[in-house]
Amino acid sequence: MWRREAPHVRAALLRRYGHPDACEDALQDAAEVAAARWPLTGLPDEPRAWLIRVASRRLIDRMRAEEARTRRERLDAARQPDAGVVPPVDDTPVTGADDTLQLLFLCCHPALSRPSQVALTLRAVAGLRVEQIAAAYLVPARTMTQRLSRARATLREAGARFTMPPPDALPDRVAAVLDVCHLVFSEGYTRTSGDQLLDVELAEEAIRLTRQVHAALPDHHEVTGALALMLLTHARSPARTDAAGDLVPLADQDRSRWRRELVDEGVTLLGRALPHGPVGRYQLQAAIAAVHAEAPAFPDTDWLQISVLYDMLSRVAPSPFVTLNQAVAVAMAHGPDVGLALLDPLLADPAMRGHHRLHAVRAHLLELDGDAQAAAEHYRLAARLTGSLPEQRYLNRRLARLTSDS
Amino acid sequence: MKYVIMIHSNPEPWGHPTSEYLAAHQELPADVRERLNADFEQVMTELHANGELVVGEALADPRTARLYRWSDGAPLATDGPYSEAKEHLAGFFLIDVEDQARAEAVAAKFAGPGETVELRPSMWPGGSDQ
Repeated sequence: MWRREAPHVRAALLRRYGHPDACEDALQDAAEVAAARWPLTGLPDEPRAWLIRVASRRLIDRMRAEEARTRRERLDAARQPDAGVVPPVDDTPVTGADDTLQLLFLCCHPALSRPSQVALTLRAVAGLRVEQIAAAYLVPARTMTQRLSRARATLREAGARFTMPPPDALPDRVAAVLDVCHLVFSEGYTRTSGDQLLDVELAEEAIRLTRQVHAALPDHHEVTGALALMLLTHARSPARTDAAGDLVPLADQDRSRWRRELVDEGVTLLGRALPHGPVGRYQLQAAIAAVHAEAPAFPDTDWLQISVLYDMLSRVAPSPFVTLNQAVAVAMAHGPDVGLALLDPLLADPAMRGHHRLHAVRAHLLELDGDAQAAAEHYRLAARLTGSLPEQRYLNRRLARLTSDS
Repeated sequence: MKYVIMIHSNPEPWGHPTSEYLAAHQELPADVRERLNADFEQVMTELHANGELVVGEALADPRTARLYRWSDGAPLATDGPYSEAKEHLAGFFLIDVEDQARAEAVAAKFAGPGETVELRPSMWPGGSDQ
């Protein structure tokens, strides 16, 4: 109940009064009053309006006290009492979708670093407690509190307003919101352990947030694409770790454990977005995930189609990591030597030479090509370079298998 | 992304901040010393304010260490120091920053004459299934 209402109440307060810190304090006050009163009196008829009213009253009380103190300090006896303290309180209903969107734009403001955007979004829009966000990102609550207050201070300094961005800035702002949602999703999805004590599932929070963006911008096809991508990827969750909690690569996953309802929803969303072109990177990535989802088993994968989609992706959003995935798809469609040739330019890139993914892909393609010795060398290098514990275990297992065979 | 910054140093006598007990640091002109100290203070304040500092500890004299080695199927305790090397682990900071570039910029600010600063990424529990 509180989780659902808090973002709306926060949005209403922000819209009326600005002052993110003061609004946050008032919101907490209202939450405490509600926690104390509702169990005794039962839920009010309109909980949201009730919360806004209580929080507004607290906010005004505080602002008046603050104002009074400043007045006394200045010994400005001539001033009119209460003049210009706060705008009048109105109880106009909050329009949910637009408020959520404006709040997301504020949280993903370009003045903030990505980690700050993520933290603020989870706090202010998803309504998670600081302790929950801190636990999700494996840092102490104190560190997360500092990150959040720094983010709020940065917004204040930048003069960020709780309004719709101007139309020319809108595409970039929507892109930032999507990137933040996708970052939260990836953090949750790629986690295989370490969050057993967590009562928050970041991947599901990200999907919930993206659903809200989708509800506010139903005709924005990249938003639809991002939501489809997350659903299609999240569908694999039950199959991506084994009983021991180790990572199961896509090739070895038991596809009967994929969540069909999420696949179906993702495919439907994508089917609605794709025909409108031009397609963005989230739609293309979702399309790739959909091709995987449509293969009953790994050997049935339509690699030709996937390699074409990666080719499109490498034009829309070129990056060394897209090239890596493209090389895998091309290798599966046309043979490992063709895939390996795509990797050569990356080996010349100093930033990529030290990246484990390049060597892991190279090792995999060399193994397919029958060169066990060179494959072992690259598995060893990839395992040494990776920062991921489950990937390191996986790569070391592949290495052990190759070296024990020979 | 989490990184550990380790300060390998040999203050004489052992003390913190290590720079105050390092001849190489004390021999610097006063204005350079002040600038280095101010840079360090600034980066610490920044780490704190940004919520990038997870934890930091200054360590006691390496001679106060107890070492446990396996001997005849049981742990055998001896007194430190652990290594005969000139420099010892004097302190560490766990930071959580946006990327490698930021980690490197922070670690560089910890450097000073007479000690070695080591920046090591920490492993994370997630991974890709691709």
